[in-house]
Amino acid sequence: MTELYTKLRLELIIERPAAKRAGRVLAESGLMGYTVIPAMGGYGGNNTWQRGTDISSSQDMVVIVSIGDKEHMDKALEALGNLLGDHIGVLSVSDVQVLRPTLF
Amino acid sequence: MGLELALSTILSPIVLFFVLGLVAALLRSQMTVPQAFAKGLAIYLMMAIGLKGGVEMSKATLSPDMLGIFTVAIILSFGMPVLAYACLRVLSKMKPLDAAATAGHYGSISIVTFVAATQALELSGIVASGYMVAVAALMETPAIISALMLANRGRKKGREVAGAEDGELMREVLLNASVVVLVGALAIGWITGETGMAKVSPFFVEPFQGVLCLFLLDMGLSAGRGLRQGWRDLDVGSLAFGIYMPIISALITTVICLGLGTSVGDAALLITLAASASYIAVPAAMRLALPKAEPSVYLTLSLGVTFPFNLTVGIPLYILLAQWAAG
Repeated sequence: MTELYTKLRLELIIERPAAKRAGRVLAESGLMGYTVIPAMGGYGGNNTWQRGTDISSSQDMVVIVSIGDKEHMDKALEALGNLLGDHIGVLSVSDVQVLRPTLF
Repeated sequence: MGLELALSTILSPIVLFFVLGLVAALLRSQMTVPQAFAKGLAIYLMMAIGLKGGVEMSKATLSPDMLGIFTVAIILSFGMPVLAYACLRVLSKMKPLDAAATAGHYGSISIVTFVAATQALELSGIVASGYMVAVAALMETPAIISALMLANRGRKKGREVAGAEDGELMREVLLNASVVVLVGALAIGWITGETGMAKVSPFFVEPFQGVLCLFLLDMGLSAGRGLRQGWRDLDVGSLAFGIYMPIISALITTVICLGLGTSVGDAALLITLAASASYIAVPAAMRLALPKAEPSVYLTLSLGVTFPFNLTVGIPLYILLAQWAAG
């Protein structure tokens, strides 16, 4: 059976204008990479939103996914907590199994 | 004359396509214009008016009149947010931070309203100077600085936002797509003149009206959706602000134009610029600079209330004011 390794997976749904700030936080925390995915729409805070309906794109949301070890993730979570004190977003962390641990 | 002007503006294809989009969104139609396509249209429109303005500027020399309008435009963009903020704080229940962010939108400009006003002027046979495009570009950003000063008034400097980088806000304010494309196209039009314009006119001149119709259909959809979703966040005082603020701005600018002695076309465009509110450049800057301000408040007002008002009622009114001031 293929051996798998446990890592932490961070999923941050955040407003698009703050995505670069979140990316900098992840890089500065020592995480080795992240991926930004456009979010299509959703509901929260008594509002529905949908991608592509705001000409300024300032209300679009993106999902940022990053996988890493606990040490780097703790650093990132502290700074992201600060970021989410200002910007609209939802953060979750879960355990995942990865095939190539040296990538994270 | 006034009624004729109002009817010809309201019954023009561009306004009717806007109304179509607005009504469709209010009726919850699923119709959408793909975002990337709409952004392409916006860039096309800014390139087209920038080039046209630049070509006109290449024929003129820098005059005291021109410098006078440039100076007034910058002062208006800096000053209008202060008045808008005072109105919102006195006549609505809007919170100080939301009021500051909203005020910034009303000091800045809507380039689409400007384009619609130039079309209305052409329809009426009124000529405006090409450098008014430069005036539009000049009025985009000072209001953002005013709004930030209003928001930070009396507040202690907060903690640093994680991930924030030095200069990111200035990049957003000074190098946003509207400013870069508008100023860039203006410069290219000025450098290449009529010879250069002749080469690109089949793309930038003839299809302009049709592209504007398509873009305004999307703007109507955006305005309708914004209004449908955001009106609950606004009290009557705030909603009324979306109508009376452009009128106040227009009246103040009319008095200024009276003093400046500008032509009817230039006065109409300056009044329109002062009365318009941003919904592209400023919201993006506000999300970075004042992230705790509610975007649904300022976007609903500028895009859902003021933009439709200006497009249908405002522009004919502003042309009439300009005719009175400069005629």
